[in-house]
Amino acid sequence: MLEISDLQVEIEGKKILDDIFLEIKPGEIHVLMGPNGSGKSTLAKALMGHPDIGVKRGKIILDGEDITKSPPDERAKKGLFLAFQYPVEVPGVNLANFLRIARNSLLPKEKRIPVFKFRELLRKKLAFLDLEENFMERNLNEGFSGGEKKKTEILQLLVLTPKYAILDETDSGLDIDSLKTVFESFNKILKNEKKMGVLIITHYKKIFDYIKPDFVHVLKNGVICENGKMDIVKKIEKQGYR
Amino acid sequence: MVNTRKIKKLKLGYKTKYGFSDKTKNFIEFSKGLRRGIVRRISDIKTEPDWMKERRLAAYEIFNKMPMPQWGADLADIDFQNIKYYVKSTDRKPRNWNEVPRNIKDTFERLGIPQAERKYLAGTASQYDSEVIYHKLKDKWTKLGIIFSDTDSGLKNHSEIFKQYFGTVIPSTDNKFAALNTAVWSGGSFIYVPKGLKVAIPLQAYFRINARNMGQFERTLIIADEGSEVHYIEGCLPAGELVSKGHKFVNIESIKPSEEVISEKGEFSRVKSTMVRPYRGNMITIIPQSKGNSFQITTEHPILCIKRDKVKTKRKLRNGWKSEVLTEKLNDATPEYVKADEVEVGDFITYVTPTAVKDRAHLSEDILKLLGVYLAEGSVSFNKSLNLKNLCFSFGKKESEEIFALETKSLIDKLGEKSSVCRTKGGYYVVTSYSKKLIDLCLKHCGKGATTKLLSKDIMTLPPEKQKFLLDNYIKGDGNVYVKRPYFSKMVRSSTASRLLAYQIQEILARLGVFANIAIRKGGKDIILGRKIVRKNQFIVEYTDNKKFSEVRKKDNLFFVPIKEIRKEDYDGFVFNLDVKSPDSYLVKGFAVHNCTAPTYTTDSLHAAVVEIIVKKNARVRYTTIQNWSNNVYNLVTKRAIAHENAVMEWVDCNLGSKVTMKYPSVYLVQPRAHGEVLSIAMAGKGQHQDAGAKMIHSAKNTTSIINSKSICFDGGRTSYRGLMKIHKGAKNSKSQVTCDALILDNKSRTDTYPYNEIDEKKVTLGHEASVSKVSEAQRFYLMSRGISEEEANAMILSGFIEPIAKELPMEYAIELNALIQMSMEGSVG
Repeated sequence: MLEISDLQVEIEGKKILDDIFLEIKPGEIHVLMGPNGSGKSTLAKALMGHPDIGVKRGKIILDGEDITKSPPDERAKKGLFLAFQYPVEVPGVNLANFLRIARNSLLPKEKRIPVFKFRELLRKKLAFLDLEENFMERNLNEGFSGGEKKKTEILQLLVLTPKYAILDETDSGLDIDSLKTVFESFNKILKNEKKMGVLIITHYKKIFDYIKPDFVHVLKNGVICENGKMDIVKKIEKQGYR
Repeated sequence: MVNTRKIKKLKLGYKTKYGFSDKTKNFIEFSKGLRRGIVRRISDIKTEPDWMKERRLAAYEIFNKMPMPQWGADLADIDFQNIKYYVKSTDRKPRNWNEVPRNIKDTFERLGIPQAERKYLAGTASQYDSEVIYHKLKDKWTKLGIIFSDTDSGLKNHSEIFKQYFGTVIPSTDNKFAALNTAVWSGGSFIYVPKGLKVAIPLQAYFRINARNMGQFERTLIIADEGSEVHYIEGCLPAGELVSKGHKFVNIESIKPSEEVISEKGEFSRVKSTMVRPYRGNMITIIPQSKGNSFQITTEHPILCIKRDKVKTKRKLRNGWKSEVLTEKLNDATPEYVKADEVEVGDFITYVTPTAVKDRAHLSEDILKLLGVYLAEGSVSFNKSLNLKNLCFSFGKKESEEIFALETKSLIDKLGEKSSVCRTKGGYYVVTSYSKKLIDLCLKHCGKGATTKLLSKDIMTLPPEKQKFLLDNYIKGDGNVYVKRPYFSKMVRSSTASRLLAYQIQEILARLGVFANIAIRKGGKDIILGRKIVRKNQFIVEYTDNKKFSEVRKKDNLFFVPIKEIRKEDYDGFVFNLDVKSPDSYLVKGFAVHNCTAPTYTTDSLHAAVVEIIVKKNARVRYTTIQNWSNNVYNLVTKRAIAHENAVMEWVDCNLGSKVTMKYPSVYLVQPRAHGEVLSIAMAGKGQHQDAGAKMIHSAKNTTSIINSKSICFDGGRTSYRGLMKIHKGAKNSKSQVTCDALILDNKSRTDTYPYNEIDEKKVTLGHEASVSKVSEAQRFYLMSRGISEEEANAMILSGFIEPIAKELPMEYAIELNALIQMSMEGSVG
């Protein structure tokens, strides 16, 4: 279980989040909604351990282990994954190599996958997501379109198969067709990974065409103001975030 | 510091000692500083033609008149009067092919060398020296009309063409350092590629072995005639000593950063960087009691040592004898690092036994015993008629040999494999097996070929008591035992043609608590029964059990071994150093020496080379440099090329290390459609300044150029890009694109860009992009969120940054470059 308990978060001395409680059990899908500037992305970064974000109070507990102070790579090793809202370009870093190194860093030494075997594996994963094979020869996000970047995030999710995945506005900046392919891919992954706990951060309702969440939370001004199920979405549809 | 008076006193006893000697080769030595007479003398010694002598003298005058450059890096610390301008180069010994690093062998493989060499590579032919291959290659090139030699020979043997081009691209008046180089140059390469000839392979392989043409004031001249193509790689890998990687010894220059070597503690330690510097002066050969472990070292290199005068008895010196050593004192003494030129005959140097142990259950007693027999008597060959590999153990004729043969068979039986024993016509006993399992086992753990057999890492790290199974059978085969009176001490000796195996046997014995000496019995040509044969060098490992008197003392995993002889000779060339992580030391032929980062390395060296290239019509030249200088080197190199009609000149230049580098490879585009390119990487860390860039001179129509410069600075280092883009009037439709990217890793470091554009023609296209970036927090966070450690994330970002240039390098160089950059960066980011 990914457990966020009484979390208070600051950036450069300014309080962004407060009083956050969330529990994500394996296999559950949570959606966190909220208007722009409500602190959604800050929460995603805080969960992944961004160094600029200061946790002032509270704890993040992953399967019983306190990771509040762990650096991002250790969180990843424990099974946490963040799909970025704005994936960063890393020029000159080959995607296939990056994925192999990332995958292997999550595995014990003796289980690491050698280059050729990994490329084979990657080919299958690319096919699974209907991506072209030469995609892996490109450099990490370098010169990618918005859609390609988000697809790469999903590809990483597939290759790294985390226990808990956070999708930070993966739907933003995508046209309808891309949105469809990205989330259909995501659903395909979920079908195989039934135990994955998911937190989807969004401020569009379009996503519910593809995702049927178990829980919905609303974040406003840094505080979770509502917890519930799909009924909340309908309410927001009518009234806005207010 | 050692008390010199004490030493002088000590030396009195050397003269008629037993086994100790102090030898210094006589050589011509110039005093420091530069004078007209010295320039003249250099030319005389080389027996150069008059025009060259005059050229040198004229350059000397120019050098004197020219001021130091007042721009760029700080050169105030260079003291021209404190430099030796010439030492008579001694011939370096040709090296054994076994010692040639793997990557060079691979290069030869790719070169498609004739069948005989290929066989050699496969280990089936008899001994071939690397020099032989080099000469073969040279023959091949000579037949094609390619001239490829060191510059001194170039002047001697091809004086016409040499005179025609020498100094035409870079005149002595160009800059102070070009003038200095012209006055005192020595070494470098001379290449002429005839019309229309395309040399498919980079001309570097040969230089990697033939290190004698590199030096402080090297001078390179390359002429690519019309329509020809050549790629020259300037590598600087001098022939270095053998360094312990724990299970085997490898040539120092083949070690890459991040690999592990054994330190003075006998444990693995990681190599941070590998560095090269020009060196002129004495090279010291230390010859310990075990002569096979002799090694060469520069004068200031510290060696882990116990001075004899610290552990001697108070007894009066016997005339002609070394002072006697008090065992208790020696046992209590702590070895200290002493500069090589302060180490004396009779002092004790420290042999370190590697301590890593990892048992491997599958290597059972019986298997190890069999491997021991294989090491001594075994061979693997291919039976053509059966189309099968077979494993063969050959024994002598004696009864004892018959017993050994039968034992071997029963060992194989015990391992559940089949074999047969037979007796040849000559009466020799032979055991043969076709078991694939055994063949694979023997090849994997012992290698093949008399001169190339080598034990695997698995074997070398077994617990010593298991290694003994192998050793005992090996000695039974390749060794012999004498019992000596009056103490009935047992002298054990074994002999092998594989040098590296001898060191391994010595190491196993050391693990078992015995110090063995290695002696070398020189091979050579001989005639037996009218047949000419070539005897291989034999390496004899010997030790004596229950010896009454021993000069070697043991303490934990260390052996203190007395020095029997020290030789000094002159050296002019590059030397190689490792920078190893704490405890800052590594083992040369088994003996502990300190890193090159020792504070004793204070003297700065100057590397002032000149490279001139003429690229004729339709020709193409690429010149690649990867250099990682020690951080006390001033690297001030003038590189320039002239590109004629439709010619292509590319400089790929990677500058790491050094104290100061000033280097601006340039291309003069003098005829229509000539193209010039400079791709460069500069990296500066603590106390370093890389002032590098490029010059492109467009003086004809439709000429094009590209400059792509990448620089990285960290830990207070400074990088500057300095570029000149000159377009003369009339050079219509010229195009040029300059891109320079700088990466700064912290706030202490600095980077600047000094672009100079002089454009006298209107119809041109010019692009200039410059960027300065920091390793961004966002990139690091992104990579780390995928489980990648901070260190690895930084490394990845850096590799990505240099990737556009690294991909232009041959694979092995790209890997090397990456490793070098990663390692020098370690711990300094973030």
